[in-house]
Amino acid sequence: MGSRKAREREMLDSVCSMIALVFFLVTCVELCDAATVVDVYRLIQYDISGAPFGSRLAKLNHHAGSLHFPPGADLSRTVLMIPVRDLNITFLQDYIAQRQPLGGLLFLLPQMFSFENKDDMRSNHQNQGNDLLKNVVAELEQLLIHANVPYPVYFAFEDDDIDAVLADVKRTDAIGQPATATTGGFKLVVSAPEPKKLISPIITNIQGWLPGLKTDGDASQLPTIAIVASYDTFGAAPALSVGSDSNGSGIVALLEIARLFSLLYSNPKTRGRYNLLFGLTSGGPYNYNGTQKWLRSFDQRLRESIDYAICLNSIGSWDNELWIHVSKPAENVYIKQIFEDFSNVAEGLGFKVGLKHKKINISNPRVAWEHEQFSRLRVTAATLSELFTAPELLESTGGLVDSRHFVNETAIIRSVKLVAESLARHIYGYQGNNIQIFADGGSLAVNPSYIQSWLDFLSRTPRVAPFLSKNDPLVMALKKELEDHTHEVNVQNEVLDGMFTFYDLTKARLAIYQVASVTFDLLLLLVLGSYLIVLFSFLVITTRGLDDLISIFRRPPSRKVKTA
Amino acid sequence: MTVFHFFNCAILTFGPHAVYYSATPLSEYDTLGTSIKAALVYLGTALVKLVCLATFLKVSENDSFDPYQELLKALIGFVDVAGLYFALTQLTHRNIAQNHKFQAVGLGWAFADSVLHRLAPLWVGARGLEFTWDYILQGIEANANLVLSISLAALGSLIWLRKNKPKTLIPIIYACAVIVATMPSITSYLRRGLGWHFPKVVGFELFTSLVMAFISCQLFAACQKPSA
Repeated sequence: MGSRKAREREMLDSVCSMIALVFFLVTCVELCDAATVVDVYRLIQYDISGAPFGSRLAKLNHHAGSLHFPPGADLSRTVLMIPVRDLNITFLQDYIAQRQPLGGLLFLLPQMFSFENKDDMRSNHQNQGNDLLKNVVAELEQLLIHANVPYPVYFAFEDDDIDAVLADVKRTDAIGQPATATTGGFKLVVSAPEPKKLISPIITNIQGWLPGLKTDGDASQLPTIAIVASYDTFGAAPALSVGSDSNGSGIVALLEIARLFSLLYSNPKTRGRYNLLFGLTSGGPYNYNGTQKWLRSFDQRLRESIDYAICLNSIGSWDNELWIHVSKPAENVYIKQIFEDFSNVAEGLGFKVGLKHKKINISNPRVAWEHEQFSRLRVTAATLSELFTAPELLESTGGLVDSRHFVNETAIIRSVKLVAESLARHIYGYQGNNIQIFADGGSLAVNPSYIQSWLDFLSRTPRVAPFLSKNDPLVMALKKELEDHTHEVNVQNEVLDGMFTFYDLTKARLAIYQVASVTFDLLLLLVLGSYLIVLFSFLVITTRGLDDLISIFRRPPSRKVKTA
Repeated sequence: MTVFHFFNCAILTFGPHAVYYSATPLSEYDTLGTSIKAALVYLGTALVKLVCLATFLKVSENDSFDPYQELLKALIGFVDVAGLYFALTQLTHRNIAQNHKFQAVGLGWAFADSVLHRLAPLWVGARGLEFTWDYILQGIEANANLVLSISLAALGSLIWLRKNKPKTLIPIIYACAVIVATMPSITSYLRRGLGWHFPKVVGFELFTSLVMAFISCQLFAACQKPSA
C-alpha cells in the first residue's frame, strides 16, 4: 500500500518536472521574439536610515503611453515614455508629490549623455540648447533621487527604434485611444527579479607614497604633503554614473601629478625633502566616508607629519576661476601660505584663484568637502574645485549629466599645472619666484594624451561604490597606475557604514512588443468563422447541390438516428 | 490573448482542410484512409527531397537569388510530382471513384504540407506577445496551397489515370501541370529575385491558385465529357 503511494508520488513528481521543463523551454523561446530590445538603466533604489528613496520596483509589464495622454486617464497600468527633451519638470514633480498611480516611467535621454557615444564629443561644447537640456536633466536627477517612487523607473537612450515606437505611441494617444488590452499598442516588458539589498557594501581606498630624501643624521620625520581625490560617484542611474567632472577630473589630475613628481623623485638630485602621499578615496558622495576611514587608519605620528592636504574635486569644466575651499579662516598662517602659493602660480598661468571659507559644524553629520574630514582631525587641508558653493548631500556627485561631453581637458591640464607648480615651489622653496618647472615642451611637461586617455576611460566606467566589487577592474587599474608612479601602494577595504542601504539591479533589457488588441482577435475570429462557413456552403452547393446544404441544417437529428 | 491569436491562425491554416473534407462527398465515401496514405507519402517525399537538397545544394550565406541553385531546387521540386504520381497510381486503398481519389490525395498532401511547414512556426511565433501579420498571411498561404495541391492532383490524375483524353487538350494539361509544379520555385523567385514582400507574394499565390483551380476544373470537366 505504502509502496504504491510512494510510486504514485514518484510518478507525479516526474510528471511535474516534465511539465516544468516544457514550460521552461516555452519561456526560453518566448524571451527572444520582441520587435525591439534595448538596454535600460534602472533608477537607483536606496534607503537612508530606513527611509525608502528611488524606484522601489524593477519588474515592468505594461502598455506604453506618452505625455499626450487624455486628461483623467487611468495610468496605473501604463508606462509613460518621456523624452527628456520635452519634459515638463513641474508636471512630473506634482505627479510624484501627489503619489499618483503609474505603471512605470521610461525616460529617454539624448545620445550625448551616453558614454558609448564617441562622435561629436566636445564638438558643440558651448551650445546653449545643450546647457538648457543639461539643467533639465540635472533637475530631474535631483527630483528622482530624493523621491520615493513606488513604480519602476528606467532610463534609455534615444535611438531610431525607440523613436519610432514613441512616435507611434504619440499618434495613438493623440487620437485619444490610450493603449490598453482592448486597443493594442506597445507593451514594454522588463523581466527582472525582486531587487535585493546589498549586504555590507565595501568601499576601497588606494594610497601611494613618494618618500622624500632623508639626509643622514636627520632623526625627525620628513613632513608630508597629501594629494587626495575621491573617485566614486553617485547618480540617478548607477550604471550611467560615470562622473567625468565629479570626480573623474580629480582622479586624472591626481594621476598626472603623481606621474610628474615620480619623475622628479626618481633622481636623488631633484628628490624633495617632503614625502608625498597620494590618496584615491571612495565613499565621496556619502559624506566622504572613505576619507574618514582612511584618515582614522593612520597612526598619530603620520597624521601629525602631514603639512597640508590638497583635495581635488570637480576641476574639469571651468573657464577662468577656481576656488580653494577651506574650513579655517583666511588669517590662519598655513591657509594664507597655501593660498598665496596657489594664487601666485595662477597669476602666472593667467587665471584667478579665489579663497572660500566655510566653518565646520561638528554636530552636523554632513561633510560637504573632502578637506573637512582632514580638518575634523586637525590636519590643514583645502579643496580645489570649480564649484563655488558647497554641494548638498548627493549633489554634484557625478550623475547623469556629468558626461565626457561637458568636460574640457584644457581645464584639467591647467589645474594640474596649478597644483604641481605650487607644490613644487613649496617643496623646493621657490616661493615668490616666477619659474616654471613644468613648462610646456620640457621633459616635465604635462602630458595631454595621458590626461585624455584616462579621462576617456573614466568617462566610460560607472563608479558607484556599493556596486564596485573588492577587485573591480577599475580599482585594479587605479592601483596599477599608482604602482607605476609611487611606492608602497596600499589598498584598504572598509565597510561603508552609516545610514545608506542599497539595492541591486542597475541594468536590464527592455523588450518592446507590438501587441494586438482583444477586439482585433475577436473580429478576426468572426471573419475566419464566416469565411469557413461560406467555404463550407460553397463546397456543398458546388459538389452536392443546394438541397443537400439545406437538408444539413434542417435535419441534423435524423442523421444521428441513422448512424445509431 | 496571444493563445487566442494562435487559435485564430490555426483555424485559418488548418480549418479549410477540415471543411473541404466534411463539405464535399469525400466524407460520405470515407476516403480518410486515402488522405492519410497520401500524407504519409508526402512525408516520405519530403525526406527524399531533404536528402537531395542537402546533397546537391550549397548553403548560401546571403539570402540572394542564385539562378543555377534555384534551377536545381526546381528540379528537386519535381520529386514532389513523383511522390504524387506514386500516391495516385500505386495506392489502392479501396475502390473509390477517380474524382474522389484525386481530391483525397490532394487534401492529404496539402494537410501534411501545412502541418510540416507551418505548425511549428505557428506554435513558436503566434503565441508570443509580439503581434505580426505574418502568421495570418501564412494561414492564407496554406489556403492557396490547398487549392494548388488539389489542382495538381487533378491534373496528375488526368495525365496518369485517364486513358481516353481529347488529344487537343493534352499539351494544355501538361503545361498547366508544369506551371503548378514549379509554383514553389516561382514564388521563391518573386520573393528573393524581385524582392517582393510577403503580403504581395501571398496575394499572387492566392490569385494564381484560384486561376489554376479554375483551369484544371474546366479541363477536368472537358475530359469528363466524352466518357459520359
